[in-house]
Amino acid sequence: MGTIGEAVRRRRSDLRTGLMGRALDIGLIVVVAGFLILLTTRVIDHGPSYFLQILAFAIANGGIYALIALGYTMVYGIIELINFAHGDVFAFGTFLSASLLPIVGLNEGEPFVLGSVFLLLVVFLVTMLVCGVLNVTIERVAYRPLRHAPRLAPLITAVGMSFFLEGALFLWKGPSNVHYPNILPSAGFEIFGATIGAKELIVIAVSIILVIALALFVDRSRLGKAMRATAQDRDAAQLMGIDIDQTIAATFFIGALLAGAGGTMFGLYYGTSVFDLGFSAGLVAFTAAVFGGIGNIYGAAIGGLVIGMIQSFWDGYFDSAWTQVIIFVILILVLVFRPTGILGMRVPEK
Amino acid sequence: MKRRWLSATAVLAGLAIVAAACGQAAPAGGGGADKGEIIIASNFPTSGADRASGRGPEAGVAYAVQLNGNIKGFKITHKPYDDAVNGVHDPQKGAQNFTDMVSNAKILGVVGPFNSNVARATIPVANRASLVMISPANTNECLTQDFPYCDPKPAALRPTGKNNYFRIAAPDTVQGPAMADFAIDTLKATKIAIWSDNETFGKGVADNFGKRVTAKGGTVVVRQDFDVKSTNDFRPFLQRAKDAGAQAIYAGATSATKGCIPRAQMKGIFTTDIPYMGPDGIGDTQCIKDAGDNATSNMYFTNAAADASQDAANKALIDDFKTKFTAKEDLGAYTFPGYDSAKILLDAVGRAIDTAGGKMPTREQVVQAVQDTKNLKLSTGTYSFDKNGDPTAATMAFYQYKGGDWSFVKQFSVGQ
Repeated sequence: MGTIGEAVRRRRSDLRTGLMGRALDIGLIVVVAGFLILLTTRVIDHGPSYFLQILAFAIANGGIYALIALGYTMVYGIIELINFAHGDVFAFGTFLSASLLPIVGLNEGEPFVLGSVFLLLVVFLVTMLVCGVLNVTIERVAYRPLRHAPRLAPLITAVGMSFFLEGALFLWKGPSNVHYPNILPSAGFEIFGATIGAKELIVIAVSIILVIALALFVDRSRLGKAMRATAQDRDAAQLMGIDIDQTIAATFFIGALLAGAGGTMFGLYYGTSVFDLGFSAGLVAFTAAVFGGIGNIYGAAIGGLVIGMIQSFWDGYFDSAWTQVIIFVILILVLVFRPTGILGMRVPEK
Repeated sequence: MKRRWLSATAVLAGLAIVAAACGQAAPAGGGGADKGEIIIASNFPTSGADRASGRGPEAGVAYAVQLNGNIKGFKITHKPYDDAVNGVHDPQKGAQNFTDMVSNAKILGVVGPFNSNVARATIPVANRASLVMISPANTNECLTQDFPYCDPKPAALRPTGKNNYFRIAAPDTVQGPAMADFAIDTLKATKIAIWSDNETFGKGVADNFGKRVTAKGGTVVVRQDFDVKSTNDFRPFLQRAKDAGAQAIYAGATSATKGCIPRAQMKGIFTTDIPYMGPDGIGDTQCIKDAGDNATSNMYFTNAAADASQDAANKALIDDFKTKFTAKEDLGAYTFPGYDSAKILLDAVGRAIDTAGGKMPTREQVVQAVQDTKNLKLSTGTYSFDKNGDPTAATMAFYQYKGGDWSFVKQFSVGQ
């Protein structure tokens, strides 16, 4: 039995050799170069301040996708399960924080003062914690009993959980778009003719802080080490005295913390949510995780960022009707040439 | 084995109960309805996000049937169908509904659907059974008229070759251009950015809007069609519009396809408030909610039907309606067009009964009777139909956001 890595390497070398492989390589380079030239002319046409403005939107857009993608990638990395319910936990985060804002006294149309920062922080933390607890409960109820079952079984319970959560959100706020209170100031500061809004700054800053915090946590902390060990070889980790159940639960918890934060930011930034948001946003975020290399935390962050940026730049410079097509064309191209994603996947080898 | 028998018995018992309930639902010809029952069906999106659009006309039909419970000895009942799936109108659900209607011999006509893409999917189903349809709200021009860009052609929707589809709303060849005239003449905007939800209706009305803007010497500075399901960020589009000097934005969309979410995101990008316009699809409370704190009097929509309350003669009718239908979404821009469509159908059924010699008319007779409708004066206008099924005269109304709700601006009659 060859490992996944070996199979992937073989596949890649198959592609690279032979006339066909070389033709593919050259074709790809021509396509990419042609596209870059087209993009450059468009960028020059629109001027630098417009570029900067779109860049700010793009990074904010990508930051939110990155936060959702991290949850998918962490869970996949440790138990090789696509947690379909993750997108819905994220959607739950948008709903919960939308309801919490008026409760703590943050209403649309009121000035955003220093005290509001504190209140907003409370909303962030509560949403993150509740999402975390929800995800751990999902793991306990729907995934843990099936840990030794064939791999398709937990996949199906994951789909089931996703539908269950969607249904619950549907019952909670109905099927219409849910308006999210616009509480952040729409002011911004000007730089080279572009206006970087407070919203973009907050979204970008929070995303960066959370990604770095997560990376440090996984790399440096005891629990992070346990997570990496469990991901590499569950049985060996158990023999070394690591509590597997607890470690996996912690992974779900942390993934959902990020989804909760992502949900709150999604609402604050886009001003809207809907009960089946978890499906559409989750699909893009999962794509981002695969794009960056599933199981790889940095990969998910970069994958989310890249997809968000493609989306915004395409909307900003080209025809929006093609945005989804372009994202997936790029995804296919990347996976054909780098089957393990941009940064390479990190999954247990069996 | 025993358990299997048990569950089989349970299923059978369940079926029996359902069958019994269905049996009871059919009334055993009481009251003045000696000759039998005629059902008027309606098909609108009445759950979820789309309920704000679809419930109004449904209530209108229900009201019309309430007022006309008996025609020439036949008992008239209303059977409502919902074509929304997960809160959004769905062409396949509509087609399913129509298949069900076709198989019910008591159904002699349908009022609806609300959305043009649903109409496109359902006209062929009804056409094969010669079931007459009257829509109060469909506006896509290709449903009735043949233009070079139409795909499918109106003839392709009518496999029997005989028309069974009528509407009282003005087509998008009128609705889009009407708003373009309004934007250029009244709002004095010449540079306009347009986006659409890429649906039959949204894209069609946006195209027609754009054509008229160009024809009147204005400029379409940006034009985008979005896959709205996966788009939450309209900022790049808005920024592009601003950069190109847009003085107004037109949304070819409905509230269910995120029609007014860009309006909320405009805040912070457009430092000075510019007009935001759309077709009848955004003329509901959902749009106002979605626009959030950026809902201002700079928001406009066109309605492809007259505002019944503008005619003083309708006051008693509307007041009576309000006492019987009290929910907020019951009285919308399309409530009385729905009511009028049902009245046209009921009037035609009455004449068809005469044609059939007082017996239950055939569906073909009802179609012919609707086609023969001549200058029928109703709450939103006086109706006759041309051979395509379009009204010979329609009304276009303009609404503006004011103090928490949409308010009427003006209306005018348009020929085809």
